Amino acid sequence: MDSQRAATENSMGPRDVAPLRVVAVGEHVIEVRGLVKRYPDITAVDGIDFDVSRGQVFSLLGPNGAGKTTTVEILEGLRDPTAGEARVLGQDVRSGYRRIRERVGVLPQDFEPFDRLRPREAVTYWARLFDHDVSEEAVASIIETVGLSNRADTFALNLSGGEKRRLGIAMALVGQPDLLFLDEPTTGLDPGARRELWTLIGDLKKKGRTILLTTHYLDEAEQLADDVAIMNHGKIVAHGSPSALISQFGGGTTIVLAGAGRGGSQALTARGIAAELHGDDVFVHVPMAGQVRPMLAKLASIEVPLTEIYTKRSTLEDVFLKLVGARMEEGVLAA
Amino acid sequence: MKRILADVMAFGRQYLRSRVGTFFALAFPVILILLFGAIFSSSGSPRVSLAVQDMDRTDASRGFVQALNNTTLISYQAIPPTANFQDYMRAHSINVALQIPNGFQATLAQAKNGSTSARVNVTLAGDPTQSSFGIAYSAVAAVANGFNLQIANATEVVSVGETPFTVQQFGYIDFFLPGIIGFTILTTPMFGMTSICAEYRTRRFFKLLATTKLSKAEWLAAKVVFYVLLLFLSVAIMMLVGIGVFGMKARLTPVAVLLIIAGAFEFTSLGMVLGIFVRDPGTGEALANAIGFPMMFLAGSFFPIDSMPSFLQTIARALPLTYINEGLRATMVLANDGTAVTYLLITLGFAVVFFVIGARGLSWKSK
Repeated sequence: MDSQRAATENSMGPRDVAPLRVVAVGEHVIEVRGLVKRYPDITAVDGIDFDVSRGQVFSLLGPNGAGKTTTVEILEGLRDPTAGEARVLGQDVRSGYRRIRERVGVLPQDFEPFDRLRPREAVTYWARLFDHDVSEEAVASIIETVGLSNRADTFALNLSGGEKRRLGIAMALVGQPDLLFLDEPTTGLDPGARRELWTLIGDLKKKGRTILLTTHYLDEAEQLADDVAIMNHGKIVAHGSPSALISQFGGGTTIVLAGAGRGGSQALTARGIAAELHGDDVFVHVPMAGQVRPMLAKLASIEVPLTEIYTKRSTLEDVFLKLVGARMEEGVLAA
Repeated sequence: MKRILADVMAFGRQYLRSRVGTFFALAFPVILILLFGAIFSSSGSPRVSLAVQDMDRTDASRGFVQALNNTTLISYQAIPPTANFQDYMRAHSINVALQIPNGFQATLAQAKNGSTSARVNVTLAGDPTQSSFGIAYSAVAAVANGFNLQIANATEVVSVGETPFTVQQFGYIDFFLPGIIGFTILTTPMFGMTSICAEYRTRRFFKLLATTKLSKAEWLAAKVVFYVLLLFLSVAIMMLVGIGVFGMKARLTPVAVLLIIAGAFEFTSLGMVLGIFVRDPGTGEALANAIGFPMMFLAGSFFPIDSMPSFLQTIARALPLTYINEGLRATMVLANDGTAVTYLLITLGFAVVFFVIGARGLSWKSK
């Protein structure tokens, strides 16, 4: 198996860039057990456990300072854990990283490219640091994969924030890695650039890459991840697929009676319906999907002045609010 | 090896594409050699500007001034006889001035006629702590002595002749070149590496590199290779300009080539050692300046170590740049390869120690 790998990876051509080798879904690429990282003044990671399966996009979600980047840097071999076990591609991160370095691609947090290298040169340089004899066609293909073909000969200095992150992803892809670490890839980008990167990450996912994505954007995790671990204060407070987390913690569906106001809320309460007033709107939570239709019928029978009625599915934001007790805005917990 | 070459290529591209890099690689050596060449090559010795007030205005006083002007030490300018000597000096910012008094010729005539009491003082005014004053004093004293000998009808019995100490007929610029090369070996890699370490740390390039197969030792080796190439380019430019413009005769010897390589190795590694302690570019610059500037003056790049007080000479012997400067002078000017090889070995010793400390001490990983 390893010799086959070596044979295919030592010379990299354009054909290698596109969909990957066969993946064994379910095989664990990352295994973390009781992982602890302690500093004199703080415990950054406090005994966490999780697995990442091959071909999966796994998201570590949480506010700034939750311990996401520390966890990822331990898994990237850039920090040593204080206690616990972490294995990446079957190797202990403390001792075996040398053997798997070329099988892992990394986009670090706040990635900055080398200013005076062009994307074409940077990708070639990075490939050579992994001992890959990379052809011009292969480089062009990687650059095309991340959508930078028309900027391939521009100094990195002159790329936009989104383009720089794309270049970072291109550099992370040069070794045809089995596992890709993307640490807050969209932080600081404008909404347009974020969406573009989501599309790129979605494409990589379709090609079967295993991706560990850290983010403090709830919508990003919900959009991209197969599996989410919500971290806070160094611990994992919830873990599962976005839909499972939403159905477990999100409170099902919310029926919104827009403009119903205090009078509407009181009318519903008088009829034994639990209602919450949010501004001028009234929210009615329906825990089970099957109860939505009967509740809508019941609400229609009550004379309540309103401008609009619609349903709203719970999101990871609701899950986060319920579990952590605060909303998160740009990575910071709201008071 | 492939990884080292890849890093040399990428780093070299970035370095030469930056204006600072191009300036230090190409323009700075030219400025250095033109500057020092112009200072030290034009006449073989510096001339001091001497203002003279001739109050006597006789053939004898004019002869005295002419004799001063004939020395290679003085360039003459006149102070009007009617001006107040000291006020004129202050008003015209004159450093050294000579006043020839009234009765100069008459006193000489008395002496010639056998008077033993005839005396006349020419007055030299200026700051005795300035080297220009000392040079002017020597010139005036020599001319006065010549006049005295002539009046006494005496002949010069003891005279001083010059013979070059070196194998070839070298000029001042040839003596100076090893110091300039040493200066370049110190500044280019050491200042460069210190600021690179600071930049790589603040911009997280070290972390990025730590995710590749490139080791710290390979990264440092790549920088050594790059700086060796860059220094050869700088030295080649300096020599071409020196030979073309000033007719410089010193040439690179094989030992000089090895000293340049060892020096690049040494100061690239020292830059990485300093990089261990810097957290941002500002600190890096300050630290490199604090180490580099005293070293370039104490290690004999511009002034001979022998002219320093003994305690400074002791410090100079502990500085790595001293052995590069002295080694290059030994092989390029004095044709003393034995001493140069000894200094080459000392330089290599320093280089290995710095390399090991740098490669071990500089952390790419987080704590």
